[in-house]
Amino acid sequence: MTSIAQHSGWQRMRQRARTRWHRWINRRIPPAKAVTLDQRRIFIFPTGIGLFFLVTLLVMLIAAINYQNNMSFALTFLLANLFVVTVWHTFANLYGLTIHAVRATPVFAGQRSEYEIMVSRPKRLHYFGLRFRWGTDEVFEVNLKERDEAHVKLFLPTQSRGWHQPGRLHLETVYPLGLLRAWTWLDLDLHALVYPSPLPSDALAGVATDQPDGSAQPIVGTDDFYGLRDYQKGDSLRHVFWKSVAKGQPLQSKQYAAYADRSLWLDWAQFDGLPPEQRLSHLCFWALEFERSNDEYGLRLPGVSIEPDRGETHKQQVLKELALWGREASLREV
Amino acid sequence: MKFDEQVPRNALVWIIATQFLVLMPHLGRVPVWVPFIYLSAALWRTMVYRGRWSFPGGWTKSLLSVLCFGGILANFGTVIGLEPTVALLLIAYALKLVELANRRDAYMVVFIAYFTCLTEFLFTQELLIVAYIFVTVIINTTCLVALHQPGQDRFIKRSVLRAGGMLLQSVPLMVLLFFVFPRIGPLWNVPLKAHTARTGVSDNMMPGDIANLGLNDDVAFRVSFEGRVPPRSQLYWRGLVFSTLENGVWRSLRWKDIPGNARRAAEPELVGAYSDYSVIMEPTQQNWLYALRYATTRDRGIVSVNDFRLVSPVELQDQRRYAVRSWLDVPLERELSDWRLEVETGLPEEGNTRTRELARQMFAAAGGNARQFVDDVLIMFRTEAFFYTLQPPRLQGSRMDQFLFETRRGFCEHYAAAFTWMMRSAGVPARVVVGYQGGEINPVNGTVIVHQFDAHAWTEVWLSGEGWVRVDPTAAIAPDRIEFGLEQALAEEGSFLADTPLSPLRFRSIDWINSIRLQLDAINYSWQVFVLGYDRDFQVNFLSRFVGNFTRTQLVIGITLIWCLLLLPVAAVMLWRSRGPSLRPEDRAYLDFCKRLERRGLVRQVAEAPSVFAERACATFPAAAEEVMAITQGYQQLAFEAKVARDERDERDVGDAGDGITSLADLRRRVRKFTPR
Repeated sequence: MTSIAQHSGWQRMRQRARTRWHRWINRRIPPAKAVTLDQRRIFIFPTGIGLFFLVTLLVMLIAAINYQNNMSFALTFLLANLFVVTVWHTFANLYGLTIHAVRATPVFAGQRSEYEIMVSRPKRLHYFGLRFRWGTDEVFEVNLKERDEAHVKLFLPTQSRGWHQPGRLHLETVYPLGLLRAWTWLDLDLHALVYPSPLPSDALAGVATDQPDGSAQPIVGTDDFYGLRDYQKGDSLRHVFWKSVAKGQPLQSKQYAAYADRSLWLDWAQFDGLPPEQRLSHLCFWALEFERSNDEYGLRLPGVSIEPDRGETHKQQVLKELALWGREASLREV
Repeated sequence: MKFDEQVPRNALVWIIATQFLVLMPHLGRVPVWVPFIYLSAALWRTMVYRGRWSFPGGWTKSLLSVLCFGGILANFGTVIGLEPTVALLLIAYALKLVELANRRDAYMVVFIAYFTCLTEFLFTQELLIVAYIFVTVIINTTCLVALHQPGQDRFIKRSVLRAGGMLLQSVPLMVLLFFVFPRIGPLWNVPLKAHTARTGVSDNMMPGDIANLGLNDDVAFRVSFEGRVPPRSQLYWRGLVFSTLENGVWRSLRWKDIPGNARRAAEPELVGAYSDYSVIMEPTQQNWLYALRYATTRDRGIVSVNDFRLVSPVELQDQRRYAVRSWLDVPLERELSDWRLEVETGLPEEGNTRTRELARQMFAAAGGNARQFVDDVLIMFRTEAFFYTLQPPRLQGSRMDQFLFETRRGFCEHYAAAFTWMMRSAGVPARVVVGYQGGEINPVNGTVIVHQFDAHAWTEVWLSGEGWVRVDPTAAIAPDRIEFGLEQALAEEGSFLADTPLSPLRFRSIDWINSIRLQLDAINYSWQVFVLGYDRDFQVNFLSRFVGNFTRTQLVIGITLIWCLLLLPVAAVMLWRSRGPSLRPEDRAYLDFCKRLERRGLVRQVAEAPSVFAERACATFPAAAEEVMAITQGYQQLAFEAKVARDERDERDVGDAGDGITSLADLRRRVRKFTPR
């Protein structure tokens, strides 16, 4: 009994400490898309080797005292101050660097998301042994020598749908001497969108359509050139008719036609009786299936409705709704 | 092995280089096979790196360690003492290289190297060695720098510059700590240098034993006078007094031979001129110190013994500095005790009958006047066919008879011994004194440099009413030896420094070489004065003179503040040089362009390519599309040209740019005029 009580008390304490720590670090290094490292954001402490170096210095000092040897004193003090000067040099190996959030690829729950960040230097100085770690034990080490910036890709495992919270990015360096470690924790405000993991189901009962099958209808696609129309916001830039722009005419989009075979509705109600997460997984599976078979499909969730369509943008929109359905509004736009 | 545990190739090369640098100054003190251990270790580790050989197994390592330990034991006869300990440390340092597999091992090797650098100072603290060790420490620190440059396989100068820069930045702080760190006494006894060969003058003398006196140009000691340096003929540096002759060997009185009441020197009446000077003696592993006659000292670690010499109770392991006041004309021991009279006239019962006979005759001829007798003997040396040479024939049997009546060739030892023999044969108290005579006066700083080749032997004769009087029979045969030094005395024989053909002293006649040598010696002397002089007493004086009026707390705070102030420039340099962007001009112009678009609500995404951004910009501001495309293409062209120029290091014509922007100025102008609508 007592042991359990102690245990929970201990856990409560740890929990409280963690909350306080998060609050403190969030105040000190607030989330941002790009962070330039300055003295507020860099922490520094001796490494284990650094402590061992100090022990070596102590032995040297004792030798100098016992032999009353002035040059041994001098050497010991030289190395002691080397340790102090190293504080600045280790610090300078992070100072001024800017870490940018580049992108985090959307994945299905359970997969690893690729987080891409970029580190750039302020001046053409050499930066060595910058070690990035994010959540996992995987370490990515880069130097900035010839190039002014380096891209770092880290693969982070995801578990459940929604916006992935990767925690803080850990960046450390022990350059130049390994006696001290400078590090920082960054919240790059970078989150991967995690879709529900696709889960096959037997059949899709009662596929609803509101268009007759096989009707040829010009809809936006990428198959054949169809005509020109005025540029609308959201049109792909690849389809802008640049030649007319050069002649000084207003922006026009090239239209392509594809032929829809059928329009399908993915409906929350189709999986009556199943738990919500499973429903979303099934819907996800079918959305991918229809996309592959080039069908038009729409989505109906409680409170959400997307008209049937197809294409990469449409697919992503559908998957995003599936990923974020039921999440609190505040969490929807992270 | 985790990849961050690997030792980069560069670090390995630096570590091996450091090993040889660390070993080099120790070479004279370690067994001759130790350098081969270093070569083998370097070879082995290189082969391991190349993948040809593998790391040694546990058995091999144990066997090697035992062998090396045995080797040290066999060489020194013991493993206790400074030299064997340092030799063992050096071997451990070399062997550690062979099992250097990961970073942790590399740190160990580097730290051992730092410590081994320190051990060099226990043997010598010369300026040149200090400079050498500083360089070694820089290279050793470079090992650490190279260890933290992952993927850096090509040699870069920057690693050395970084290490050297960091150490130079530490120097001001080191100097401060050096002066203020309290010098406390030894915490416990430490192994001493036990097996170094004793150098300098030997503690006994057997004239005729040596057929060829090998002299070297090592410095015995340096003297700095306050005021004028006495004339050269007065510079007799007394070291040992040989009062007893046993089995043909002259030597000092043993402590136990001296009766209790004669052990302390009788204090003479201090009259006449005196001379103040300080001596820095090189280590001799002997007890006696050198000084001019009647030497007194206030140095607590030095005692004065009954024949008016200075002696250190402990052997001179390291350089030793002591201050002396000498009364050059004070009469010594006017009253001679019976015991002393007996000792100073003692001779063996038998042998050298012709010498005894000659002495008695001459003493009688002088009418029993000791002073007259001394002069007569000197006249005999001067007028008869006696020669001064460093290559005398060997003597056997009745050596003095042989020398005085047959060979008549010899150096100071021979003449001093023969003279003393004759004095004692006639019952006049006399003894041999050994030390150095003369010295070279350095015009740069006025110090007197006394070399080993200035070693000399002369005599002291006791005359009633005058006490002990110095008589140098060598001066009668070779006055040049006393007036000008050994080199002049041997000008004809050519035997001066015959064994050391490259000694800089042989080139004294070449002015510029000589002046460089004397300059260096002056610097070295100042260095020695500083290094040896900064001890506890000096520190207390030094600090109390400057900061005597402060409390301990104020002192600590003050020193910390100064220390921080010294650290500030380092911080300023580090932070200043990494502040602010260093963009190329074309980049700056393009960013200006992006900022103009951003003001109108179009933000360029991180890592968005200029062409992609341009498409978006065209779509958002169709009216400015043409200008957007022109600027973007112009920028890309310029950036590309700049990159080509950087890559190939030459200017190259890369053709026409998109819409007429060919120069940086053009790009800047177009951007300045650019206003998206």
